[in-house]
Amino acid sequence: MSEWISRNKMTVGLGAVVLVLAYLYYFADKTTALSMYRYSWSYAVPLVLCAMVGVIGERSGVVNIGIEGQLLVSAFAGFFGAAYSGSLLVGVLAGVGCGLILGGFLAWTTVKWRMDQIIAGVVLNIVATGITSFYYKPGQLLPALMPHVSIPVLSKIPLIGEVFFKGTGVIALLAIVIVIGIHLALFKTRWGLRTRAIGEYPSAADTAGINVIRMRLVNVTLAGALAGLAGVFLSMDSTSSFERGMSAGRGFLALAIMIFGAWRPLRAAAAALFFGFVTAAASQLQADRVINVPPQLVGTLPYVMTLVVLAVAAGKVRAPGAVGQPFVKEGK
Amino acid sequence: MKASRYLAAGAATVLALGLTACGGSTGSSSSAGGSSGGAAGAPTDDSKCADAEVFCIGLVTDTGKVDDKSFNQAAHEGAKKAAEELKGFYKYVETQDAKDYAANMAQFTNKKYDAVVTVGFLMTDATIEAAKASPDTKFIGVDQFYDPAKVTVKNATGIQYPEDQAGYAAGYLAGLMTKTNKIGQVLGLEIPPVQKFAKGYEAGAKASNPGISVATVYHPAGDNAFNDPTWGAAEAQKQLGQGADIIFGAGGNTGNGALQEVAKADGAGESKFCIGVDTDQWNTVPAAQKCLITSATKELSQSVTDTLKTAQKGDFEGLTTMGSAGLAPFHDFDSKIPADVKTKVEKVVADLKSGSLKTGVTL
Repeated sequence: MSEWISRNKMTVGLGAVVLVLAYLYYFADKTTALSMYRYSWSYAVPLVLCAMVGVIGERSGVVNIGIEGQLLVSAFAGFFGAAYSGSLLVGVLAGVGCGLILGGFLAWTTVKWRMDQIIAGVVLNIVATGITSFYYKPGQLLPALMPHVSIPVLSKIPLIGEVFFKGTGVIALLAIVIVIGIHLALFKTRWGLRTRAIGEYPSAADTAGINVIRMRLVNVTLAGALAGLAGVFLSMDSTSSFERGMSAGRGFLALAIMIFGAWRPLRAAAAALFFGFVTAAASQLQADRVINVPPQLVGTLPYVMTLVVLAVAAGKVRAPGAVGQPFVKEGK
Repeated sequence: MKASRYLAAGAATVLALGLTACGGSTGSSSSAGGSSGGAAGAPTDDSKCADAEVFCIGLVTDTGKVDDKSFNQAAHEGAKKAAEELKGFYKYVETQDAKDYAANMAQFTNKKYDAVVTVGFLMTDATIEAAKASPDTKFIGVDQFYDPAKVTVKNATGIQYPEDQAGYAAGYLAGLMTKTNKIGQVLGLEIPPVQKFAKGYEAGAKASNPGISVATVYHPAGDNAFNDPTWGAAEAQKQLGQGADIIFGAGGNTGNGALQEVAKADGAGESKFCIGVDTDQWNTVPAAQKCLITSATKELSQSVTDTLKTAQKGDFEGLTTMGSAGLAPFHDFDSKIPADVKTKVEKVVADLKSGSLKTGVTL
């Protein structure tokens, strides 16, 4: 433990400072602080899930520009699946299923057919916008609201419990489990080691006996389920309607967050929360008339921050080595 | 190698966004609303628009959809009704990106349409340019104002609405209904029509309840400000969390997201209420019925229909028309709103209309 802390001085220090500040604000003005933290988290949930899609893809060596499209189609399928079947579960399954199918499409075209990964992703986004706009029908309603639950003991913790575990949607709770799960899987399991290997140096991984093609196919496809979950969250949990183009660039923002988080799940989650908080703070400043920050300027912040991080951390933070390159087995 | 990959990624992303925009704008033009269902002698396509007898109406939306359940939809319905009554032909294009305004209008002017309706304040400049280029087509700009000192084109007219009056009446009602003395509003893009709603709302609330505090938040982004229900919902939740008990959602789908969020909250319809915008959203956003006490409306449909009829008759003066604005019915909340509150609000609406009460809103 102490060894781990000394190795991660920066992270631990920064985390502690943030936590102390968060609690200070919480005790100073409980209602405002809580509503802002809750806003941050609900803003961050779809971004966190989508960033995980990006992390898994790029760690395996596949760039996923198509997250935006996966998100939109899943939001569409989730909402209309639930509206027409009258069952929330069917909606969720339809949304997640669509995420999987589109993940599979991306995996198959880029890994099997070695199509340019960027182009495949772009195609996905265009098709997603077209399909969801064309089949959109106004005037549909969800059969019920998504369940919101409080976790017994955890929800009693001041601040953290109230934000993450009290009356939150099931998908938001699941997102916490998923982020921690992917972090552990990526850095502590054999699957994680292999995934990182095929993303860094696929021919070496291949020599070691790892089936690079199959592993990339499986990883990118399964990651699609997370984008599906994020889409379901958009249309069924955070709102209860589907609108055309409602993903509103969140899939691209997630890629920025993935880079901001240095291709690491926990850091990406922290980055998403940070952007959520900045957005909350900006709207709070507007509402309280403290200073009038031009809202447009705030919208650019995540991208500006990503540029800054990339510039400052140049050389320290780097993408997986084989990202964007299709794997061709030698001798074939 | 890697650097060039990322360059390619960036370029492709930009390209993707651009392509999505172009693809959408042309694709949706085919889903034209058609003309008068069954009316004898009505044209079925726009091939004869150049003829004097055939009155063709084209409508270009702002970056919204004709089924957005508020602003664009109301203008669309007004134009469609005019086409039915005039036995004319009607077609619309949904704009996907602001840079396509001119191209979308050209789709109609190239075919010699008689009248083109452009929906939304943001299209003001593009409409004037198009009117200059096509003097034979009449342009009607909804939510637009052409300063007679600067704009000399004779074939364009703007329709404006006293949004501040509708906002004032809604705010007045909210001020009387609030128990926490905190109300909020979740708004789309910060442009004059929305600002007038917002400032009117605040002025009205302060008039009926001087001690009230009003949280006012506009959407941060430019291109999807009216189509981001997720943001609207999160913002509404934040304001509710801070004790606001009445939320005014004004901003297309963004505002609708806020209304639906209030409808989901504990105590919706009992202690927490929401107010819609532009049209009577009781009908257009059924998911918000649980909390929707009224909507701050603009008479969009009627004014578009009337102006189109004027254009057809020919006495099109190139002047700015002022439509009307007011409050939608209370629907199910009619019995829940105290009688004295209703009387007061009705008086305010009447006084605003007659001009004896001023909202005091300036932009």
